[in-house]
Amino acid sequence: MMLRWWLSTSALLSSLTIVLVLGFLLQSSWPLIQQQGIAFIIGTEWYPFESLFGMLPALIGTIWAVALALLIALPCGVAAAILCSELLPKSLRGSVRFGMELMAGVPSVVYGLLGMWLLLPLLESQLNLLTGRTLLAAGLLLALMILPTIMVLSEDAIRAVRQSQREAAKNLGIGWDATLWRVLLPQAWPGIRVATLLATGRAMGETVAVMLVVGSIDRIPEPFYNFLQPAQTLTSRIGREMAEASVGSLHWAALLFCGLMLAVVAMGIALLSERRRTII
Amino acid sequence: MFQRWFANALSGLLLVGLLVVSLPAASVTIKVAGSTTVLPILTEAAKQYRVIHPELNLTVSGGGSGMGVANIERGTIDIGMASRPLSEGEAGRIGDTTDVIPVARDAVAIAVSKAVYESGVTQLSLSQIAAIYRGEIRNWRELGGLDARILVIDKEASRGTRHVFADVVLGNPRARAAGATIVTGSNNEEQSVISRSDQAIGMLSNAWLNDRVRAIAVGEGDAAVLPTAENVAKGRYIIKRDLNILVRKHSRDEVKGFVDFLRSAQGQAIVQTVGFHSVR
Repeated sequence: MMLRWWLSTSALLSSLTIVLVLGFLLQSSWPLIQQQGIAFIIGTEWYPFESLFGMLPALIGTIWAVALALLIALPCGVAAAILCSELLPKSLRGSVRFGMELMAGVPSVVYGLLGMWLLLPLLESQLNLLTGRTLLAAGLLLALMILPTIMVLSEDAIRAVRQSQREAAKNLGIGWDATLWRVLLPQAWPGIRVATLLATGRAMGETVAVMLVVGSIDRIPEPFYNFLQPAQTLTSRIGREMAEASVGSLHWAALLFCGLMLAVVAMGIALLSERRRTII
Repeated sequence: MFQRWFANALSGLLLVGLLVVSLPAASVTIKVAGSTTVLPILTEAAKQYRVIHPELNLTVSGGGSGMGVANIERGTIDIGMASRPLSEGEAGRIGDTTDVIPVARDAVAIAVSKAVYESGVTQLSLSQIAAIYRGEIRNWRELGGLDARILVIDKEASRGTRHVFADVVLGNPRARAAGATIVTGSNNEEQSVISRSDQAIGMLSNAWLNDRVRAIAVGEGDAAVLPTAENVAKGRYIIKRDLNILVRKHSRDEVKGFVDFLRSAQGQAIVQTVGFHSVR
């Protein structure tokens, strides 16, 4: 009886927390919406001291950094998962998996420092850039950070496909290629999808590593798909400006609105992973 | 069964809690935060002050002038550091309750990478520097230097160093710098970017110059001056500011004692050792 009471209270408190967080974010950014409407979401200029709070540069930056990260990490992660679950001998399987789990445990600020010391000079010299602090650098770092998540969860998903499926495919004379593409991956797809969505959430919320390598300049890249230019992401903006915005000011409200946008998008992604079971 | 366990656990927790609370209070803490330009002075002064007053605990951290002002306003720190004067809005909010006490004088050097300096760019006029930061001059070649694009380093708008730079060079402490390539935060970060590049220009406090980060003389032709101690003292170098600490008017005695120490002969000797100029 006590146990049931305690369990239900914990569950209620946990779900209440998320509502409280959303409520706090909304309430704190309300002064900005009240004063400026919602036009600032597509505004292109961010100058807090002139009361300009355009969200577009940071939004585009976040979208690009996350898209680049997924573009690199998804194929690599799934390929590593296939390798680990299907092709490697049992002895190596454990060590590769262990290595990935270790990578997942590395604090993100370490990736940021590694990025600053190794990745930036490399980008500058190889791509002949004015500065290595670009969306590409942020995307590459994020890819490194979400790779373990995608790999480990995809491997679990592929491993979970029943052995009878593989045996049936062999009995039918289907080659390994076709078994992979027609039998294993479609059945492992729900798990891989969850892995991708989790990884996207992490990539969107990563602050310190991105802040150190993205350039932090609130400008839309020219042209808009140029990821070899310094730019700004929502998290990098919050990270750089939070400490000095006086609580209650419009600047503070604008920064919390950035946080609200991140939270809403992340929740939307989580909802997507629940509802659309068979369509995607 | 569960009830008994729960009652035992609760009483155990209460006991531990009482013990923790009744422990003798930790030594008195003075919290200092704000400008990274003023940070070395206060860090060194805190070290020497602890020798005289070992019962005090001083924590000194950075974050930028904007953060120093914001936290004094919030009341979370005892001494704020700011490398610029209070803005009108800030003075209106905290001017009545806070003392702004100068502890040192500093020059904001226009710093360039070693390669740029050695290619011949050893002096620039204010209008040339403004043109660089507005994006009108894009290549060092146009100024008589090497053929390389200018990596223009701007600072976060809340930083005191930027405030002073923009005031003198661009005409308005909150001026936009449309020609900026990237935005950095603390003096350390900016120094690291300039020293690792071969084509950078940035605004840096005088105490951060070294072999790979050179100051250029500011002014027209023969009237160009370097930010040396003599030029600053005699007022010939114009991009200068007082380094201030912000202290609430009715602070504790320990805080007032530390402030007096900073303005004493020993404190001002520390100021000069660190690389700034005394206010005496």
